[in-house]
Amino acid sequence: MPVVTTSELTRTFGPVTALDGLTVELPSAGVIGLVGPNGSGKSTLIRILLGLIRPTAGSAAVLGSSVRGPAAYAARVGVLIESPAFVSALSARANLTSLAHLRRVPLERVEVVLGQTGLAGRDREPVKRFSLGMKQRLGIAAALLSDPELLILDEPTNGLDPAGIVEVRELLRDLGRNGRTVIVSSHQLSEIEAVCDHLVVIRFGKLVFSGPMAEVMKRTREHIDVAPELLADLPRLEAGLTDGGWSVNGMDGILRIVANAERAADLNRAATAMGITLRALVVGQDNLEEIFLEMTGRVDGELAEGRAIANGKVA
Amino acid sequence: MIAAIRSELTRLRQPRLLLAWFGLMALFAMLVNTIMVTFVSGGGSLPPGAPGVAFPTLAEMESPSGLMAGLAAASNMFGIVSLSLCAVATADDYSSGLVRLLVAAEPRRWPLLAGKVVALVIVTAGATTVAAIVNVFAVLPAAQAAGISTVAWGTNILTVVALAWSNLFMALCVWGVLGLVIAVLARSAAVAISIGVGYVLVVESLVKMVKDAPSDWLLGTTLGAVASGGTATIPYTTAIALAFAYVILGLVLAGAVFIRRDVTD
Repeated sequence: MPVVTTSELTRTFGPVTALDGLTVELPSAGVIGLVGPNGSGKSTLIRILLGLIRPTAGSAAVLGSSVRGPAAYAARVGVLIESPAFVSALSARANLTSLAHLRRVPLERVEVVLGQTGLAGRDREPVKRFSLGMKQRLGIAAALLSDPELLILDEPTNGLDPAGIVEVRELLRDLGRNGRTVIVSSHQLSEIEAVCDHLVVIRFGKLVFSGPMAEVMKRTREHIDVAPELLADLPRLEAGLTDGGWSVNGMDGILRIVANAERAADLNRAATAMGITLRALVVGQDNLEEIFLEMTGRVDGELAEGRAIANGKVA
Repeated sequence: MIAAIRSELTRLRQPRLLLAWFGLMALFAMLVNTIMVTFVSGGGSLPPGAPGVAFPTLAEMESPSGLMAGLAAASNMFGIVSLSLCAVATADDYSSGLVRLLVAAEPRRWPLLAGKVVALVIVTAGATTVAAIVNVFAVLPAAQAAGISTVAWGTNILTVVALAWSNLFMALCVWGVLGLVIAVLARSAAVAISIGVGYVLVVESLVKMVKDAPSDWLLGTTLGAVASGGTATIPYTTAIALAFAYVILGLVLAGAVFIRRDVTD
């Protein structure tokens, strides 16, 4: 059974359509990446799933229950929404205890999640003394408090140092492997690529892609980056290769040619025929970031907002 | 709802918040008693419509209820403290973004709101007790120094103290609930405090100064009457009924807004 289903889910804020008939099913178990440009509707979707806001039209269900009655599933869902929010004058332990009371969770769980997130030694310090990374860990601890089936985490590695990022990635992978479903909304596509089993891409409130990460990565294309010995030769090299039928993109002193590794020697010969010596010729593969940019049309949703509102659509 | 109350009480254990709340109650109890005793023994009288305080006469001061007269005299000041701190405790959930986490954890918003109200009422009981204790310790030496007879103060002392405490407690609960209501509506402590203090010190005082303006139903006047156990112009039962109506109206308004409004903070 899918953990989340939405059907023609729409939410408007005045003239802005944040979600525009979004229909998607998210599979249970594993880590699901939710990505999209700024203003694509990710936060609105998460808020609807958590019962914080109501849809204007359409329907959605979490763990089989409609979002119009979130009390039916709230105990089974853990959340970290945007930046972690706590009472800064209280300790990490007191904040978690307060949430444990509200969620009717045994207080032993506070110890467990403090240990899981590496906060056990600093649990009695006021949260106001915590760094952003520590607050982020506390946010994750709060999300894990009820030992939920479904975790919804918005930018979970925000503010963490490299070691902290690796730890959180490991934690997310473990949670996904142990039968839980983790939905991670993030702008860090390297993070999504590293931990997610399934990817959902939305743009302008509509679904662009939903499928296994393996399927996404099949879209990767090999490319060859070349750089002439003399920078002044770059325009001539680009024109010559384009005329020769190569697919060329100029990028910051190099040319990226869409071609697989076997054609590297042909490329080198073509440059030599033009009387240009190459100082670099590197074979590579698109990463998720490049695929994402292709999928989303290299658009910043918030910058496009004015244009979209004018068209009656949204950001 | 018990879960929400326990959760709120845990969050209200903020040293600075409680120190400010109890400290201001103690400070006002001490100040008002000192000023009141000096004023009453000197035969002074306040102009009608003076904001915040209503002093007793010398005869009232020397009666058994004189021991706790300071609580009623400063009830509107205590009320502003309650309103302000309840507003801060409520609005902080919005400014910190905690309200998102709370509503996601407990999507039934009525119990969440009711839990906050009950938790604030419990802390208000503590604050009222602090004010009552400081009142007793402040008024005795002040009265003796000013030559006010305290002979009658030993009569029915438990009843007098209990009645004064419960009257002030009821008035402060209403003030506190109104602070919460304004904070829920405004989602800002500063706005809530400005509205509350501005109303009592400016709007209500201006209305009282206007001749023939009906002022018996005004919030501060009503709650002052509750704290005093009734006044010459507002009987105790009328004051209680009006205060109850204010609370119900406020809670219905805050509840409707809290339940229906999107949580976007």
